[in-house]
Amino acid sequence: MFKQHLRRKLKRSVCAILLAAFLPHAHVHAAESGSAGSDFRLPTLGGDGELTLQDLRGKVVYLDFWASWCGPCRKSLPLYESLYQEIGSQQFAIVAINLDETREDAVRFLKQHPVSYTILLDPVGSTAADWQIRVMPTSFLLDRSGMIVREYAGFEPAHIEDIRHDIDTLLDQ
Amino acid sequence: MTSIHCSISKPCRPLVVLLLAALLAACAPVQPWERGRLAQPVMALDGNPMLSAMDEHVYSSKEASSGGVGPAGGGCGCN
Repeated sequence: MFKQHLRRKLKRSVCAILLAAFLPHAHVHAAESGSAGSDFRLPTLGGDGELTLQDLRGKVVYLDFWASWCGPCRKSLPLYESLYQEIGSQQFAIVAINLDETREDAVRFLKQHPVSYTILLDPVGSTAADWQIRVMPTSFLLDRSGMIVREYAGFEPAHIEDIRHDIDTLLDQ
Repeated sequence: MTSIHCSISKPCRPLVVLLLAALLAACAPVQPWERGRLAQPVMALDGNPMLSAMDEHVYSSKEASSGGVGPAGGGCGCN
Protein backbone atom coordinates (compact mmCIF):
# COMPACT_ATOMS: atom_id res chain seq x y z
CA MET A 1 0.00 0.00 0.00
CA PHE A 2 2.71 2.42 1.08
CA LYS A 3 4.86 1.23 -1.81
CA GLN A 4 2.09 2.03 -4.28
CA HIS A 5 1.61 5.45 -2.75
CA LEU A 6 5.35 6.12 -2.99
CA ARG A 7 5.44 4.92 -6.61
CA ARG A 8 2.57 7.26 -7.52
CA LYS A 9 4.33 10.15 -5.84
CA LEU A 10 7.58 9.29 -7.63
CA LYS A 11 5.76 9.21 -10.97
CA ARG A 12 4.31 12.66 -10.31
CA SER A 13 7.72 14.02 -9.34
CA VAL A 14 9.35 12.66 -12.50
CA CYS A 15 6.57 14.20 -14.61
CA ALA A 16 7.02 17.55 -12.84
CA ILE A 17 10.79 17.48 -13.39
CA LEU A 18 10.43 16.61 -17.08
CA LEU A 19 7.82 19.31 -17.58
CA ALA A 20 9.99 21.90 -15.85
CA ALA A 21 13.00 20.87 -17.93
CA PHE A 22 11.18 21.38 -21.20
CA LEU A 23 9.32 24.57 -20.28
CA PRO A 24 12.25 26.97 -20.85
CA HIS A 25 12.58 25.68 -24.44
CA ALA A 26 8.92 25.98 -25.32
CA HIS A 27 8.48 29.15 -27.29
CA VAL A 28 6.50 30.38 -30.24
CA HIS A 29 8.52 30.67 -33.41
CA ALA A 30 8.31 34.43 -34.00
CA ALA A 31 9.98 34.70 -37.42
CA GLU A 32 7.24 32.90 -39.29
CA SER A 33 6.03 33.24 -42.84
CA GLY A 34 3.30 35.85 -43.04
CA SER A 35 4.60 37.85 -40.07
CA ALA A 36 6.57 41.07 -40.19
CA GLY A 37 10.32 40.62 -39.91
CA SER A 38 11.79 41.90 -36.65
CA ASP A 39 13.54 45.21 -37.30
CA PHE A 40 17.27 45.64 -36.65
CA ARG A 41 19.93 48.32 -36.76
CA LEU A 42 23.34 46.89 -37.56
CA PRO A 43 26.68 48.32 -38.74
CA THR A 44 27.93 47.51 -42.21
CA LEU A 45 31.14 45.57 -42.69
CA GLY A 46 32.74 48.53 -44.46
CA GLY A 47 32.07 50.69 -41.40
CA ASP A 48 30.28 53.30 -43.53
CA GLY A 49 27.10 53.43 -41.48
CA GLU A 50 24.21 51.37 -40.20
CA LEU A 51 21.28 49.73 -41.90
CA THR A 52 17.79 48.96 -40.66
CA LEU A 53 15.16 46.70 -42.12
CA GLN A 54 12.98 49.80 -42.52
CA ASP A 55 15.57 51.22 -44.95
CA LEU A 56 14.85 48.32 -47.29
CA ARG A 57 11.08 48.88 -47.57
CA GLY A 58 9.95 48.84 -51.20
CA LYS A 59 12.46 46.19 -52.19
CA VAL A 60 12.25 42.42 -52.19
CA VAL A 61 14.83 41.41 -49.58
CA TYR A 62 16.77 38.20 -49.20
CA LEU A 63 18.12 38.20 -45.65
CA ASP A 64 20.88 35.71 -44.98
CA PHE A 65 22.38 34.78 -41.61
CA TRP A 66 25.87 33.36 -42.05
CA ALA A 67 29.28 32.88 -40.41
CA SER A 68 32.78 32.16 -41.68
CA TRP A 69 32.90 28.81 -39.85
CA CYS A 70 29.66 27.60 -41.42
CA GLY A 71 30.49 24.98 -44.08
CA PRO A 72 27.46 25.46 -46.38
CA CYS A 73 28.12 29.25 -46.43
CA ARG A 74 31.18 28.58 -48.60
CA LYS A 75 28.76 27.38 -51.25
CA SER A 76 25.86 29.74 -50.60
CA LEU A 77 27.64 33.12 -50.70
CA PRO A 78 29.10 32.74 -54.24
CA LEU A 79 25.71 31.50 -55.49
CA TYR A 80 23.89 34.43 -53.84
CA GLU A 81 26.41 36.76 -55.48
CA SER A 82 25.58 35.32 -58.94
CA LEU A 83 21.89 35.72 -58.14
CA TYR A 84 22.44 39.34 -57.10
CA GLN A 85 24.41 40.08 -60.26
CA GLU A 86 21.65 38.55 -62.39
CA ILE A 87 18.68 40.28 -60.73
CA GLY A 88 20.27 43.64 -59.93
CA SER A 89 19.75 46.03 -57.04
CA GLN A 90 16.91 48.20 -58.38
CA GLN A 91 14.05 46.26 -56.79
CA PHE A 92 15.97 43.60 -54.94
CA ALA A 93 18.48 43.48 -52.09
CA ILE A 94 20.52 40.77 -50.49
CA VAL A 95 21.52 41.56 -46.94
CA ALA A 96 23.82 39.11 -45.23
CA ILE A 97 24.15 39.32 -41.46
CA ASN A 98 27.49 37.97 -40.32
CA LEU A 99 27.44 36.25 -36.92
CA ASP A 100 31.19 35.77 -36.41
CA GLU A 101 32.58 36.84 -33.06
CA THR A 102 35.21 39.01 -34.74
CA ARG A 103 35.07 41.19 -37.87
CA GLU A 104 38.43 39.78 -39.00
CA ASP A 105 36.95 36.30 -39.48
CA ALA A 106 34.31 37.73 -41.82
CA VAL A 107 36.87 39.78 -43.75
CA ARG A 108 39.15 36.74 -44.18
CA PHE A 109 36.25 34.67 -45.48
CA LEU A 110 35.09 37.40 -47.88
CA LYS A 111 38.59 37.70 -49.34
CA GLN A 112 38.16 34.13 -50.54
CA HIS A 113 34.47 34.51 -51.44
CA PRO A 114 33.95 38.16 -52.39
CA VAL A 115 30.41 39.52 -52.65
CA SER A 116 29.06 42.90 -53.72
CA TYR A 117 25.87 42.89 -51.65
CA THR A 118 25.50 44.37 -48.18
CA ILE A 119 27.16 42.63 -45.26
CA LEU A 120 26.10 43.59 -41.75
CA LEU A 121 27.86 42.66 -38.52
CA ASP A 122 26.15 41.14 -35.50
CA PRO A 123 28.93 39.64 -33.33
CA VAL A 124 26.59 39.27 -30.34
CA GLY A 125 23.92 37.42 -32.33
CA SER A 126 21.02 39.48 -31.01
CA THR A 127 19.41 39.63 -34.46
CA ALA A 128 19.78 35.89 -34.84
CA ALA A 129 18.01 35.49 -31.50
CA ASP A 130 15.23 37.88 -32.53
CA TRP A 131 14.73 36.00 -35.79
CA GLN A 132 14.99 32.69 -33.91
CA ILE A 133 17.58 31.05 -36.09
CA ARG A 134 17.56 27.28 -35.59
CA VAL A 135 20.27 26.20 -38.02
CA MET A 136 23.20 27.80 -39.80
CA PRO A 137 22.82 29.18 -42.38
CA THR A 138 19.24 30.41 -42.39
CA SER A 139 17.73 32.87 -44.85
CA PHE A 140 14.44 34.72 -45.14
CA LEU A 141 12.70 36.12 -48.18
CA LEU A 142 10.80 39.32 -47.44
CA ASP A 143 8.34 41.11 -49.67
CA ARG A 144 8.34 44.84 -50.40
CA SER A 145 6.43 45.60 -47.19
CA GLY A 146 8.87 43.70 -44.96
CA MET A 147 6.67 40.65 -44.44
CA ILE A 148 8.38 37.25 -44.27
CA VAL A 149 7.34 35.17 -47.26
CA ARG A 150 9.53 32.15 -46.70
CA GLU A 151 12.26 30.82 -44.42
CA TYR A 152 15.11 28.70 -45.79
CA ALA A 153 16.78 26.66 -43.04
CA GLY A 154 20.16 25.31 -44.14
CA PHE A 155 21.55 25.45 -47.66
CA GLU A 156 22.19 23.07 -50.54
CA PRO A 157 23.34 24.34 -53.96
CA ALA A 158 20.22 22.72 -55.45
CA HIS A 159 18.09 25.18 -53.39
CA ILE A 160 19.21 28.16 -55.48
CA GLU A 161 16.73 27.45 -58.29
CA ASP A 162 13.91 27.31 -55.78
CA ILE A 163 15.06 30.57 -54.19
CA ARG A 164 15.34 32.21 -57.60
CA HIS A 165 11.79 31.14 -58.44
CA ASP A 166 10.45 32.60 -55.16
CA ILE A 167 12.27 35.90 -55.74
CA ASP A 168 10.98 36.15 -59.34
CA THR A 169 7.43 35.51 -58.13
CA LEU A 170 7.71 38.35 -55.61
CA LEU A 171 9.31 40.72 -58.11
CA ASP A 172 6.45 40.09 -60.56
CA GLN A 173 3.79 40.97 -57.98
CA MET B 1 5.58 -5.75 5.53
CA THR B 2 8.35 -3.94 3.71
CA SER B 3 8.94 -0.45 4.90
CA ILE B 4 10.77 2.17 2.92
CA HIS B 5 12.43 4.94 4.85
CA CYS B 6 12.79 8.29 3.20
CA SER B 7 15.25 10.67 4.80
CA ILE B 8 13.66 13.73 3.17
CA SER B 9 10.84 15.06 5.30
CA LYS B 10 7.45 15.42 3.61
CA PRO B 11 7.27 19.24 3.60
CA CYS B 12 10.72 19.37 1.97
CA ARG B 13 9.85 17.09 -0.96
CA PRO B 14 8.33 19.76 -3.24
CA LEU B 15 11.41 21.88 -2.55
CA VAL B 16 13.68 19.02 -3.65
CA VAL B 17 11.62 18.53 -6.81
CA LEU B 18 11.81 22.25 -7.57
CA LEU B 19 15.56 22.25 -6.94
CA LEU B 20 16.07 19.33 -9.32
CA ALA B 21 13.88 21.02 -11.93
CA ALA B 22 15.88 24.23 -11.57
CA LEU B 23 19.11 22.30 -12.08
CA LEU B 24 17.73 20.70 -15.24
CA ALA B 25 16.64 24.06 -16.58
CA ALA B 26 20.21 25.30 -16.13
CA CYS B 27 21.32 23.16 -19.06
CA ALA B 28 21.22 25.95 -21.66
CA PRO B 29 21.54 24.90 -25.28
CA VAL B 30 24.33 26.41 -27.40
CA GLN B 31 22.63 28.55 -30.01
CA PRO B 32 23.33 27.77 -33.69
CA TRP B 33 25.22 31.05 -34.17
CA GLU B 34 27.41 30.37 -31.12
CA ARG B 35 29.02 27.26 -32.54
CA GLY B 36 32.03 28.96 -34.10
CA ARG B 37 34.45 27.54 -31.55
CA LEU B 38 32.87 24.09 -31.77
CA ALA B 39 33.36 24.19 -35.54
CA GLN B 40 37.12 24.73 -35.22
CA PRO B 41 39.25 21.76 -36.38
CA VAL B 42 40.88 21.51 -32.96
CA MET B 43 37.46 20.67 -31.48
CA ALA B 44 37.09 17.57 -33.67
CA LEU B 45 37.38 14.22 -31.92
CA ASP B 46 40.27 13.46 -34.27
CA GLY B 47 41.96 16.81 -34.82
CA ASN B 48 44.36 15.55 -37.47
CA PRO B 49 43.01 12.45 -39.25
CA MET B 50 45.97 12.25 -41.65
CA LEU B 51 48.49 12.21 -38.79
CA SER B 52 46.41 9.59 -36.97
CA ALA B 53 46.37 7.37 -40.07
CA MET B 54 50.17 7.68 -40.40
CA ASP B 55 50.70 6.94 -36.71
CA GLU B 56 48.51 3.88 -37.02
CA HIS B 57 50.42 2.75 -40.10
CA VAL B 58 53.81 3.09 -38.33
CA TYR B 59 52.46 1.33 -35.26
CA SER B 60 51.07 -1.61 -37.21
CA SER B 61 54.31 -1.92 -39.24
CA LYS B 62 56.48 -2.02 -36.12
CA GLU B 63 54.19 -4.39 -34.28
CA ALA B 64 53.82 -6.64 -37.35
CA SER B 65 50.12 -6.67 -36.75
CA SER B 66 47.25 -4.41 -37.45
CA GLY B 67 44.13 -3.62 -35.52
CA GLY B 68 43.61 -2.91 -31.86
CA VAL B 69 43.18 0.74 -32.70
CA GLY B 70 39.60 1.90 -32.81
CA PRO B 71 36.71 -0.38 -33.63
CA ALA B 72 37.23 -3.85 -35.08
CA GLY B 73 37.34 -4.11 -38.86
CA GLY B 74 38.74 -6.11 -41.74
CA GLY B 75 41.81 -4.89 -43.53
CA CYS B 76 44.24 -6.67 -45.85
CA GLY B 77 47.20 -6.42 -43.45
CA CYS B 78 49.40 -5.40 -46.39
CA ASN B 79 51.82 -3.01 -44.74
